[in-house]
Amino acid sequence: MERSEHGNRSDTNTDYPFQLLCFLKLHTYTRVQVSIDICGVDHPSRKRRFEVVYNLLTTRYNSRIRVQTSADEVTRISSVVSLFPSAGRWEREVWDMFGVSSINHPDLRRISTDYGFEGHPLRKDLPLSGYVEVRYDDPEKRVVSEPIEMTQEFRYFDFASPWEQRSDG
Amino acid sequence: MFLRVIGRPLLAQVKQTTGIVGLDVVPNAREVLIDLYTKTLKEIQAVPEDEGYRKAVESFTSQRLKVCQEEEDWEAIEKRLGCGQVEELIEEARDELTLIGKMIEWDPWGVPDDYECEVIENDAPVPKHVPQHRPGPLPEEFYKTLGAVLSKKEVPQVTSSESSSKE
Repeated sequence: MERSEHGNRSDTNTDYPFQLLCFLKLHTYTRVQVSIDICGVDHPSRKRRFEVVYNLLTTRYNSRIRVQTSADEVTRISSVVSLFPSAGRWEREVWDMFGVSSINHPDLRRISTDYGFEGHPLRKDLPLSGYVEVRYDDPEKRVVSEPIEMTQEFRYFDFASPWEQRSDG
Repeated sequence: MFLRVIGRPLLAQVKQTTGIVGLDVVPNAREVLIDLYTKTLKEIQAVPEDEGYRKAVESFTSQRLKVCQEEEDWEAIEKRLGCGQVEELIEEARDELTLIGKMIEWDPWGVPDDYECEVIENDAPVPKHVPQHRPGPLPEEFYKTLGAVLSKKEVPQVTSSESSSKE
């Protein structure tokens, strides 16, 4: 699928991201040498719920292109680290936040979550407050993780209305 | 008289620097380029005829080769092609060679003629304060390549700035 927006971006959906990015990098008329960002999007209603988005830039022709691939929880994306070295950290982040791992990645480990964290934060099914909270325990002299205790009920803000909303309606 | 004989090769200025970090000056750029382009034209024969990729590569490679063979001086080559410095051209030629090898290995040919990419147009107006960084004018060989690719087939397959899905 290709969407051409008003502007200079085009999105492509493909099963072979590595080959496509290799072509984009090497071909004389699409010298895309810079990968700006690789991120993921979670659409829980779809069968292949995650979308891996590659944002790329060509300095030779001064334009940007965005490539999107779909994946589900067990699909492994082929790593583009050999083409774009900066992709190392981006793919680590996609793995950490969504759980979409990469084949042939040189160093796939968590990058922004805590060391013992279980779960993938940016998935839509992990709640905003998470499942555990950490506190320093003085008797044990270390930081312990305990199930979360919220002192305040979750408040839903409906900014469409100027009147103050009550959660029970 | 001797001055003129000695002076003429010296008139071609030696390039001091490319101005790009990490890109060294190549003194015999013209020979390197001719060598690379002939190799490219030879390698591209392995791609099936009638593929947009082959037509595009043949078109711009043969045009660049022609210009390199006609002009003696790197400065004249750069000015005539309008595609940046000769060292950049060498890099592009090398990358294209690698790419041809990889494309032959991956073999993405054989997209059916009636395959159409879904193009969704977004006509939302862009607000005035947003800077739109439009790319500069493309060199003329690009338009010739585009013409060569679009000439026989109706559906462009793998062309310059648009990419199509591979099966």
